[in-house]
Amino acid sequence: MGSTLCQNRLIEERKQWRKDHPFGFWAKPQKNPQGVLDMKVWECAIPGKKDTIWEGGQFKLHITFPDEYPTKPPKCKFVPPLFHPNVYPSGTVCLSILNEEEAWKPAITLKQILLGVQDLLNDPNPESPAQAEAYNLFKKDRAEYERRIKRIVRENAAP
Amino acid sequence: MDPLPLPTSLAEVEALIRALYQPNPPETISRIQEVLQRLQRSPEGWQLAESLIAHPEDNIRFYAALTLIVKLNRDSAGLNEDDAKLLLENIISWTIQSLSDGAAPFVTKKLCSALITYFVLFSHVWPACVRHFIYCLDLGRGVPIENLDDALSTDILVGNLDSQNLKVAIWFVTSLVEEYSADVHQRLAKNGQDATCLLARGFVPPIDEVGLKTQEETLACFQAWILYAQRASSDVDLLVTPLRQLVDPALQCFTNEHLFQATAELFSDVLQNYSGFFTKAHYDALSSFFESQWAANHYQQILHGNHREDGISFGLLMLAYGDAQVQALLEGTDERSQRFLESLSGLLATDGYLVGDDAIFVPALEFWSTFIETMIDCTFSDGDQSPVWKPYAERHLKAVVTNSWRKIQWPSAEIFAEWDSAERAAFCDARKDVADMLQSVFTLEGLDLISFFANLFLQALASQSWAELEATAFCLGALSDCISEDSKYDAELSKVFASQFFDLLGQGQAAVPLRLRQTGLSLIERYCEYFERHADYLPNALNLLFAAVGDSVLGGPSARSISTLCSSCRTILTGEAGTFIRHYQDIRGRQVLDALAEERIVLAVASIIQSITDENEKLQKFEELYTIFKKDFEFAVQLRSQPGLVDLTNPNVLRGLDPPIPSSLPLVEGISLHIALRSMRCIASMSKGMQDVKESPVDLEDESQVARTSEKLAALQSDIVSLLIGVQQVFSTTGEIVEIICNILRAGFSETEPGPFVFPADIVTNYFVQQPFETPRMGTLLSTACSFVGSLYRGPKAIVPNQLVRLLPWVIALLQKLPDTEISQNGICLIDRVLSKYPEVLFQVQPGQMLEFFFMFTLKVLNGKEPLPKTAAADFWSNFITLKPPSPNLASHVSNAMSYFGPLLAQTLINNIGGNAARSELDKLSEPLKKLVTQQVQAQAWLEGALTRTDEGGNGGGFPSAAAERVSMAERAAFLKKVVGLRGARQTNQVVREFWLLCRGSSFAYVS
Repeated sequence: MGSTLCQNRLIEERKQWRKDHPFGFWAKPQKNPQGVLDMKVWECAIPGKKDTIWEGGQFKLHITFPDEYPTKPPKCKFVPPLFHPNVYPSGTVCLSILNEEEAWKPAITLKQILLGVQDLLNDPNPESPAQAEAYNLFKKDRAEYERRIKRIVRENAAP
Repeated sequence: MDPLPLPTSLAEVEALIRALYQPNPPETISRIQEVLQRLQRSPEGWQLAESLIAHPEDNIRFYAALTLIVKLNRDSAGLNEDDAKLLLENIISWTIQSLSDGAAPFVTKKLCSALITYFVLFSHVWPACVRHFIYCLDLGRGVPIENLDDALSTDILVGNLDSQNLKVAIWFVTSLVEEYSADVHQRLAKNGQDATCLLARGFVPPIDEVGLKTQEETLACFQAWILYAQRASSDVDLLVTPLRQLVDPALQCFTNEHLFQATAELFSDVLQNYSGFFTKAHYDALSSFFESQWAANHYQQILHGNHREDGISFGLLMLAYGDAQVQALLEGTDERSQRFLESLSGLLATDGYLVGDDAIFVPALEFWSTFIETMIDCTFSDGDQSPVWKPYAERHLKAVVTNSWRKIQWPSAEIFAEWDSAERAAFCDARKDVADMLQSVFTLEGLDLISFFANLFLQALASQSWAELEATAFCLGALSDCISEDSKYDAELSKVFASQFFDLLGQGQAAVPLRLRQTGLSLIERYCEYFERHADYLPNALNLLFAAVGDSVLGGPSARSISTLCSSCRTILTGEAGTFIRHYQDIRGRQVLDALAEERIVLAVASIIQSITDENEKLQKFEELYTIFKKDFEFAVQLRSQPGLVDLTNPNVLRGLDPPIPSSLPLVEGISLHIALRSMRCIASMSKGMQDVKESPVDLEDESQVARTSEKLAALQSDIVSLLIGVQQVFSTTGEIVEIICNILRAGFSETEPGPFVFPADIVTNYFVQQPFETPRMGTLLSTACSFVGSLYRGPKAIVPNQLVRLLPWVIALLQKLPDTEISQNGICLIDRVLSKYPEVLFQVQPGQMLEFFFMFTLKVLNGKEPLPKTAAADFWSNFITLKPPSPNLASHVSNAMSYFGPLLAQTLINNIGGNAARSELDKLSEPLKKLVTQQVQAQAWLEGALTRTDEGGNGGGFPSAAAERVSMAERAAFLKKVVGLRGARQTNQVVREFWLLCRGSSFAYVS
């Protein structure tokens, strides 16, 4: 039953996304080897925001939806892992709207999630660090931090 | 600012309302609003509304209606049933009066809203609201509800309404369904029959302008009622059945040009969101409608570029129908279905360019993607591989593929230049959608699809139709993910890769336009596995790529292609290593490459060198490449001491400019540093390229591995390490250098075979322990050391303890000296790793106070606010508590440590769980607690001591003083009893969470 709810919601999310999504983003369910869609895992790409040091980059993100979605939030993971204070070494994104105990609400749409992650790129939350290296550099040597980001943006240039 | 005084006369109130709707500064408006709201809320509010409800000025009348709504919502509890009934009669009379007075529609509509507010509050008094309202309209005034018993049937009452009254009645039922609240749903649904009766009247073809407008509003109202019926799905007979009778009259509205837009919106909306509302008969009727002459004309218009509002609405309506009926259309081999599908594939081929002129392509492609997905589902779930409908559907797919291929062809440069950035981005997005669709088609058509494009490629090449050729290459590129690993398509692909096209590409810009070159080159990268199987085409492909490396547009992608191709085809290319090094040197001699492109090329060449099997040759080629960067570094050092060498015609100097064309000449130190950084990054790329791509087994007991390193290799390694240390010394304040060195070291850690970057453990340990405290990026070094320990565990055991013995004092000294987040986290992690496999080494650390410092340090971190080190410390303690010492001697050390630190740990944990931890840390902190309870007999006593000891000093020594009053001793004891009783079970986390909430107090419930 819960799984049907999850499936229906994801079909609806897909419909809405196709109808209206912000420029430079993409999001689509994964295909299995036969070419049949797996709605539970989406491949997405997030562009760096204009007028920030992230502009020009495009970052791949996998979103995995649990069976209990939308009661429980999906998990977002940068592939490969991204250098960022709020991204765990595994690539998993640490963001309040993705946390069941914080700001997750079943009404939050895929578009809102992706825009939220895009905002997070240039606006890290120093209150919940997820990797020490980026966090430390962000706090202690902003110039070096920005140089590093610019390099990452070039390595992940949007096509 | 002081609030305005309450007005004393009606005239003053009117003046205030007038002022409210006039342009005024925001603070004036809010002051007026404030005083008027006070008035509305006062007991005189009712009277105010009544006095102004017939006012000749619309704004004042509107405000009176608004006041009614405010009073109803705030003060309706004060009305008895008789008052309430009288009020209803009045509001209805005022509504009717507003109509006859010629008040503006917004006034009458607001009064309708007041009636809905009334219904929501008093639906028990006014259950048949629709019928009663119509009855009053017929009579021209509000009458008692009881009179309804004598009224004629609803259809006769509805028939009596003149066009004005009909209009208001439609407004009323529209507001009703848009503004109702869920708790009156049952009574609202019972009005469905009356509302349907009214709507049927609204659909009667109008005789005048008012009637036409009303008919349009009827359509919108019908749409709102259908939406409501969908939400209230339990009452099918009550709502859906009567509403369905209105579909035919609504269909008739299509052909009225004024009503077309609203009608199309209604049908598209219901088809998309509630397709089950329509019956088979309705679908047939819609289908006939699509075959009418009228529809045919509209279809032709959209084909020829009418994508304005009406054109696009018609197209979207067709697509919504298609979506709702996709399964039936797919399986329907009848002529009607086939014709309709044909017209839908035609929507992919309208006049005009994507997306600026052609707005229907993207939604049409969406429909076809759904169609194809449905086809895949049917094909794979039925098991019947050749259903009757398949050839029919395939014919449509062919049209879809061809039309899409045509649509994504780039326009001429002149036209493209006219597009704005949003149009360009949308065009590229649409191409991506097509790529997606093609991948789905491939699932069904496989080889046929590849042959189709391969042949198209040759045709376009023969006729030199560059735009077509580019689109074909793009489509083939899109399919690479599906086929590149499978050789059964190679015959088709060889048509492409053996064609003259790649000769043309080699002739550069003059022969082939830039965009086609770009797509052509990326095709090579995408089919890298093909080239692995067909080595004969590989050199030509790589030559093409190398030729493009210097190009400002193609350089980046070409370098990436080179690294992909070389890395995956390395074993075929081993003989070419020398050639490629020369290629690289040539390009470098001619121009300054983009830094990132250069690194990718270096990585490519190194990966070829890696696969050379002859050790001597491999090392010789390696050294050849490595020497280039070594010389770069030497030059960088030389520049520092001899600034006169800065000569901007020397490419080696130009390498040091960042950005490549700086606004002013940077200082010589900057140039020198940049040259060094570039050379270091290239060495880091070499270290990545030299990583082995195949897995080989490791024998942990084999102690001979060290000996397998040849003398030549050892010399090379020692040279590299000296270089790295040298660079770091010269640029000792630059953190980036340290970071790159760490990357180089890490590249070697994962290797199992000897290689230039697989340094002997002693050398690596030396490197770490000799770092002075001033070294920048110490945290990164420590995290690298942590990986190093992990890599030691994957190698021969014999050498491990010696390394750990030397690393431990270094790590603990760092924790003493520089305990920032990164150092603390990585330092604790490293020691945790030592503890997990070599606890005896940890307990031998000299001097002995270091260990004591470390234990105290982890407790301090647990009491702190830094989440990452805190997590590491919690992990460390979980592991320490569960440690199984391998020797009696060690066991006594561990047990001594435990009895000394156990009570302190308990105090720290209780301090956190007692409210000082962040919510997100609780799960992590529950782990050592669970371990304590299951492993340590004294745990209960320690925890009890901690729970009863108030942490007065606020330094983590016991129960937080902030929670001491809130949480009684009995509650604390109950918590402990639960935790102990659970014996480390998962539910402990929940108990911890609840206790934490209790200690924080309810106001903190959602704060973490």
